[in-house]
Amino acid sequence: MQSLKRQKNKLLTGMRYIVIIGCGKTGKNLAHEFSREENVVVVDKSLKSLDSLGDDFNGKKIWSDALDINTLDKAEVKDADAVYVLTGNDNLNLVVGKVVKIKYGTKKVIISVNDVMKKKIFKEEGLTIVNRTYLIVEVLKKCISS
Amino acid sequence: MYIVIAGAGRLGLVLAKKLKEDKHQVCIIDRNELLCNKLAGELKGIIVICGDATYPDILKEAKIEKADVCVSSASSDEDNIIVCHLAKELFGVKRTVARVNDPKHIPLYKYMKVDNPVDSTSIIARVVEEEASFSDVMSLLSIKKGRLSIVRVDIPEDSSVANKPLKDISLPKNSVLVSVLRGPDIIIPYGSTVILPGDEVIAATLIDAEKELIRTLIGKI
Repeated sequence: MQSLKRQKNKLLTGMRYIVIIGCGKTGKNLAHEFSREENVVVVDKSLKSLDSLGDDFNGKKIWSDALDINTLDKAEVKDADAVYVLTGNDNLNLVVGKVVKIKYGTKKVIISVNDVMKKKIFKEEGLTIVNRTYLIVEVLKKCISS
Repeated sequence: MYIVIAGAGRLGLVLAKKLKEDKHQVCIIDRNELLCNKLAGELKGIIVICGDATYPDILKEAKIEKADVCVSSASSDEDNIIVCHLAKELFGVKRTVARVNDPKHIPLYKYMKVDNPVDSTSIIARVVEEEASFSDVMSLLSIKKGRLSIVRVDIPEDSSVANKPLKDISLPKNSVLVSVLRGPDIIIPYGSTVILPGDEVIAATLIDAEKELIRTLIGKI
């Protein structure tokens, strides 16, 4: 039912459905950005982190463990246009990212991984991996290039 | 065999010592430096490596590509999954075994193709349940991840199978009586063997048939 409603809604409004797992600084800011124009669901196992989204956040919040497959079902990952896994735990991000890809075949799975070696290995397995340190270094380099 | 164990907690250590006793080559990895230094002095003939086993270079240091089995016994499920995944995909280890801490996480172990996820919590819960329930039935052994189980059943006075020869008892499909223990005697049963009240019966059964078998033998559950 929900799924049908969502697809109908998607067709009518053109809004994409985005799942964000991990409501730290990055997840929170991304959720706020997206929630202005898209349907957003945020998953975190800490209630405090979800509360930090504030009252004006108009997306859905799910307070649960992302390593539990029921949580991913509850977040309706199968309908998602994109899934972001942005917890502070590299290994958790990798596992959840891979499982989302394998189980639901989501096209866009973006995960944050800080270790360079792991990034290299899992990039070859079809995940989009963002490395914070690498990004900052690139920006810092550009600061003096122009 | 050469076995690499990730995580030198209680489970990892007991396992390492046991495998060493059985003349296997063992390497244990833990990220706690103090613990590793202590273990390096204590564990004779076991290689101790200090580092995070979810990093490929640490696994390489443990020569995991030569391992026959990789066991991950950490208390964090995501770490166990990554260790087994790297061991398999990156280093070609044939058999990976991992401890599952939260039974809810089992599907993830399966999706990530860990060969043998061992659900420690459920196993302990089942043992405790059996011990606490004082039942006439005891699980002796479970084989093939619990699909086949060997059980011991005490035949009560009012059992519907008591005083009947085996050939007149219809046991559920996929179950078989292996032996009858009567006082000091061990009887290998044939069709003519009569089951008496007070006998202890050892039976092998597929897990799906276990409840029905027990119901047939003792008439309850």
